[in-house]
Amino acid sequence: MIAIVRMVVVLSVLCGLSGFALSYLKMITATAIEEQELTYVQGPALKRVFTQAENSPIADRRGFTLASGEKVTVFPIMKGGKLVGVALENFGKGYGGPIGVMVGFNTSDDTLAGVGMTTMKETPGLGMRVADPGFTTQFMNAAAPVSLKNQGGKIDAVSGATISSAGSVEAVNKAAQAYMGLKPEIFKAWAK
Amino acid sequence: MSILQEFTKGLWKELPPFRLVLGLCPTLAVTNSADNGLGMGVAVIFVLVLSNMLISMVRSIIPKTVRIACFIVIAASLVVAVELLMQAYAYPLYQRLGIFVPLIVVNCIILGRAEAFAAKNGVAASIADGLGMGLGFTLSLTFLGSLREIFGNGTWFGHGVMWEGFEPMRIMIQAPGAFICLGLILAAMNMYNYWKAGKGKAVPAPQGGCGSCGCCSLERREDAR
Repeated sequence: MIAIVRMVVVLSVLCGLSGFALSYLKMITATAIEEQELTYVQGPALKRVFTQAENSPIADRRGFTLASGEKVTVFPIMKGGKLVGVALENFGKGYGGPIGVMVGFNTSDDTLAGVGMTTMKETPGLGMRVADPGFTTQFMNAAAPVSLKNQGGKIDAVSGATISSAGSVEAVNKAAQAYMGLKPEIFKAWAK
Repeated sequence: MSILQEFTKGLWKELPPFRLVLGLCPTLAVTNSADNGLGMGVAVIFVLVLSNMLISMVRSIIPKTVRIACFIVIAASLVVAVELLMQAYAYPLYQRLGIFVPLIVVNCIILGRAEAFAAKNGVAASIADGLGMGLGFTLSLTFLGSLREIFGNGTWFGHGVMWEGFEPMRIMIQAPGAFICLGLILAAMNMYNYWKAGKGKAVPAPQGGCGSCGCCSLERREDAR
């Protein structure tokens, strides 16, 4: 009996201590990790979406709050001192977890400027192919909301990866919704 | 054994991937370039030294029946810590190593050293053991990664080292290249040990007929016939 109690106590104390230590470590590394993700994940995705930004979208990013209370980070794209586009990231449900998509909008006519995948855990060779240009270029200059061909839209799903394709489309549409909701604020923030 | 011996045994005599042939999953998977091997090795040193230290510190209060669970909790916490630190300070490395960082938890070197050494020895000896084993692992991975990178890509730590017009053997940085390299390294090490033990020397001509030198079992076989 004493042995069992001792077993339970030792294991619980050990797990508790490690839990505390890890949550503390997570807290103190959170800002550094966010910075690194911006540089190595969102940065390259932004470059794929807008090739000729004259500012640094990451340094100029700004946080906004949607009417629903959701927080969104918006990356502005400037050319000649004027706002020509914005990009924002959103997530859709994929096969192996959330699919993060950086969605760019042309501010002149509200069409999509392009999309770039940020984080996802899809199947290599199948779902991962939604990051290929063959799929992503279909979003260029399309009008939101978009939908897959089998839903009556114009986007060709990656064959064998319907769930990943649908997840990407879902992320794009959520981003478009956020963009529409934030449009007045966005224009006010970077109007010069 | 002295502390120094505990440290140096991991460098050659019990070199984890090549002599004990332990921890082959990361050894084969991430060594397609020298800096990937080095990065993985450093992560393993960190986990191994700290897990050996912590386990040897708490070894007297851990009940024998749940010791494996306790070792895994300690190793897993350290691996998550490495993962967080790597994300915070070396994100590109984290992206390249991918799934193999969390898999350090089940790396048999960690659990093997915990069970075979740290659970029975003092703190200082356990740290020395972890450091030696970790360093041996890192050197092995870096060496294997260097070979594969040099022959498969013509570079070493990203710098071109081969002559102009060198045609890289792509297979070396792909999965089969890992097996080929590992096999050749193991063969070379066995040959070296064989030679060092004196068995590789030329056998003097036998005086009293074949088999008298005792080098082979030919005579016995002849007797049996």
